This record gives sequence, structure tokens and C-alpha cells, in this order.
Amino acid sequence: MTQKPHLHTLEIRNLSVRAGGVDILAGIDADIRCGEVTALVGPNGAGKTTLLLAILGLVDYTGEIRFCRAEEHGRGAPRIGYVPQHLDFDRNAPMTVVDFFALSSQRYPVVLGASRSSRAAARESLARAGASHLAGRPLGRLSGGELQRVLLALALRDNPDILLLDEPVSGVDAAGEELFCDFLDQMHSASRFSLLLVSHDLSVVSRHADRVICLNRRIVCQGATTETLTPENLAAMYGSGAHLFSHGHADGHGHLHDDAPAPPGGKGA
Amino acid sequence: MDRLLPFAFAEPGFMKRAILAMLFIAPTAAAVGVPLVHFRMAFFSDAIGHSAFTGVALGVLLGIHPVVTMVAFGLFVAWAITLVKGRTDLSADTVIGVFFSTVIALGIAVISAQKGLTRNLQSFLYGDLLAVSEAEVVWLACLFLGVGVYLYLAFNRLMLLGVHEGFARSRGVPVRALEISFALVVALVVTAAIRAVGILLVTALLVIPAAAARNAARGTAQAFWGAVAVSLVSGLAGIAASYSLDTATGATVVLFASAFFAATAVARRVLRLA
Repeated sequence: MTQKPHLHTLEIRNLSVRAGGVDILAGIDADIRCGEVTALVGPNGAGKTTLLLAILGLVDYTGEIRFCRAEEHGRGAPRIGYVPQHLDFDRNAPMTVVDFFALSSQRYPVVLGASRSSRAAARESLARAGASHLAGRPLGRLSGGELQRVLLALALRDNPDILLLDEPVSGVDAAGEELFCDFLDQMHSASRFSLLLVSHDLSVVSRHADRVICLNRRIVCQGATTETLTPENLAAMYGSGAHLFSHGHADGHGHLHDDAPAPPGGKGA
Repeated sequence: MDRLLPFAFAEPGFMKRAILAMLFIAPTAAAVGVPLVHFRMAFFSDAIGHSAFTGVALGVLLGIHPVVTMVAFGLFVAWAITLVKGRTDLSADTVIGVFFSTVIALGIAVISAQKGLTRNLQSFLYGDLLAVSEAEVVWLACLFLGVGVYLYLAFNRLMLLGVHEGFARSRGVPVRALEISFALVVALVVTAAIRAVGILLVTALLVIPAAAARNAARGTAQAFWGAVAVSLVSGLAGIAASYSLDTATGATVVLFASAFFAATAVARRVLRLA
């Protein structure tokens, strides 16, 4: 595995996405710094997934998305890894994890057998993800956490410059979440890709992200995690702060999250 | 040829042509059926099959060979459904359902205005494998090769697309081109298979072998070759059985495939419980 640092930055300038006459995103200016973990937070319908899709070039947008690559690290399109929020596929699909890896890495059909190189690459990536035991399992029989690991292993196989994760721990139990985050931290410190993470879970965000972008159709605020996740900013982003905090404390539940964040700043206690 | 198929029932020329036709169309339909089932497109192929009914009626009305209009109309409907599906928020079922009914209504309207057309339709509704011409066998052979090349190039990307569209796109899969091309390939295979099993049963030839193989397969390769094997065995057994039982060939072939499906479904359940 190459250890060279990825010196990439993603610059988003005045990005807007309209669909059906509605502004889904308007006037977004944001930077993703190289090698850092940036979290994208915001209420449902804030356009978080849309922003990821725009970066992937899967929705039409106006404005600019620039991928900057340091000269000494070569030219060409940056490699973007993507782990979608959930896969709505046929759970009975006759497809093992190795098949799934081979589908995206070899040209000739997998029905003629997985190539030696694609099998070796699959095994290596799965081993790194601590998921070697899943290689021969049908994709549809994996638990949510196992599937996330497989998708992450596949995304990391190609040594991405930027990794986009959409709600990586939704539908994963607490233990699975812990495992996933540890693995992600480990991989991230090993290869220093830039990571853009969409998450509802502010405890995950405050533990793992270097920077936070708060989004609600436009940028509410962005900056270093501890400075950004303030009650005032969260209130601005989620509409009424009174709801989030007073109710959150009263009944142990945030209105917006199952696990309401402790007020930022009190983290690590 | 005699050495290739040394069966008494294969003696008449029409039997040899029927068997050859089946050897080409059965694996082609089953192979296309694997990604088709993966995409949950069984209803789509049914709609294309039924559009053939209208295609034939239009051919007779316009004085063009009905097989030509059947294929052309099938391709048109496949293209139209795929296009509309990609541009509305309606679910695929709804779009296909609307096209399905419209096309059938058009066919019935044409037929009811043209007396004497019904007899012509019989062989399309139920299939008439024993009446295939040499030209048709050649067409099926070309289709067999063409679909083979298509799947060689597109199979992996089709399967990836079936898992998650955004994910497939992020890995460089050209989604629109793939959807349109697959719809057209399905239309070609469906209209060709109508000759063997008829409009009413054509979907079965694509879907049942793939479904049966899925019951037993562990990976993609097993599912694919299993489907091809089920379709070949059902096709040949169906021809032989229909010859001795004097039943409709297409229906007999489909019944054999259904038996494979039932057996694998039961086996799967038993093995999972065990």
C-alpha cells in the first residue's frame, strides 16, 4: 500500500442545484481540505446527499466544483470513492462479496470466473477491513454493518483521493458503529485521503471530524468541529434551537436525533 | 446433422429445425433473463411480449410481414417505456402498466376491425415451434451470437447497476446507455422467443430458468450457467415430450422449466431448515 499523502482539496464555489422549480442547494461555498475529515450535517431535506451527488457528477448543478491536485502528485481526474447510504437491491441476488468486487474490477463477465487479480485484490481489501470471513458470503445476507464494511473496503481498494460516505452508520448497531469508526480512523491515518462524511449522528461527528459544514439548503456555518457545533449554530441550522435543546434535555431525546448530542465542548468527558 | 441429433423423433425436417431453434433461443433467453430478474424487469418483458400482439396486427393491416412489424414494434415499445420511465417520478410498474394496456387496446382495436385476422394470430399467441423456417433458425443463431457479444461486454456493468445506480455511476457505468441497450436486447429476445413459446408464455422462457437457478446458486456464475442449463434441458425435454404426448410445444417446455423451479425452491427451503 502506498503511503504517499494525497494533497487534494475540493473547492466548491457558488454551487446551486434546482429540481422541479425548487432550490435544493443554493450558493454553496465550501472547501474540503486534503487529508482531513469533514462532516456534513444538517436536518432531513437539507441537501446533504444532493451535495454528494453533485460532487460525484450525478446531478446537474450550476456553479463550480474544483478538484485541486498538487502538481507533484500527478494529473488527471481524482479518484472518488463513494459509499451510498443504503443499497436497495434484491436481497436474494445470487452474488457473493467476491463477485461484487469482481463486477467493478474486471472487464470480462464474472460468469466466466473472477480473475486472479480481482480475487486477490478483493481478499486484500477485505482483510484490511477485517472482513476476510465475508468473501464467500452472498451480498444480500450481510448485516447492515457488514455491508458497510464491504462497501468501504471496495471504495478503499482503489486508493481514492476523496472518500464520500453517506450516513455510514445508519442501520448499524452501536458495536458495529464503533468498529466501523475505528476502522475508518485506522484507514484514514494510514492513507490520508480526504473524507467527506454525511452524518446525523453528532456524537460520531464530534469524535471523528476535523471540520464541520452545517447545511440547510445553504451553508449555515462551517469551520473546525469544536468551534462550529455550538448551540447557536445548531439552532440556526435545525430551525428552532429551543426544540432541540430544551426538549432534548427534558426527555432524553433530541427531536432530530435518536441520540441527541451532548452540548459540544463537553465532548470527551 | 443426423449424427448430431440421432433421435427418432428428430427425423422429420421440421423437428430438426425446431430443435435447432430451441438450442439457440433457450440459452439466449435464459442468459438475458439473469440480469432481467436482477433488475426486477419481468413485467417489462411481459409488456414487450404483449406488444408483439399489436405488432402482428399492424403488420397484417399494413401488408408487411408480421414478424418484421412485431420486432419493430417491440423495439419501439421498449424504447418508449425506458425513455418515459427515466423522465417521470412514476414508478416503473405504473409506466409499464400504462403502456401495456394501451398497446393491447390498440391491438384489439386493429384486430376487431379486420375480420379474418384471428387465425393468423393463433400461432403467435401459443407459439409454433414446429413451423419455424430455416430463415428463422438463422435469425435465432445470429441473435444467439449477438446477445453473447452484448453480455460479454455489458454483463458486469448491468449487474452492478442492479445493485445501486449511484454507486454504479460513481464507478463509471454509463447508466442511460446501458438501460436503453438492455431494453432493446430484451425486446429482440422476447420477440424471437415468441416463435417458440408464444406471446402468452414468452416471459416464462426468460424468467423461470433464471429464477430456478437463483434458488440453487451461491454466486453469479452458478446462477448464470444454471439458468442456461435449465433452459436447455427444459427446451429439449419439452420438445420430446410434446412430440409423444401431442401437447403444445411451448407450453410443455415452460412446464418443464416450472418443474425445475418448484424442485429448486423446495430444495432450498429444505436445506435452509436443515
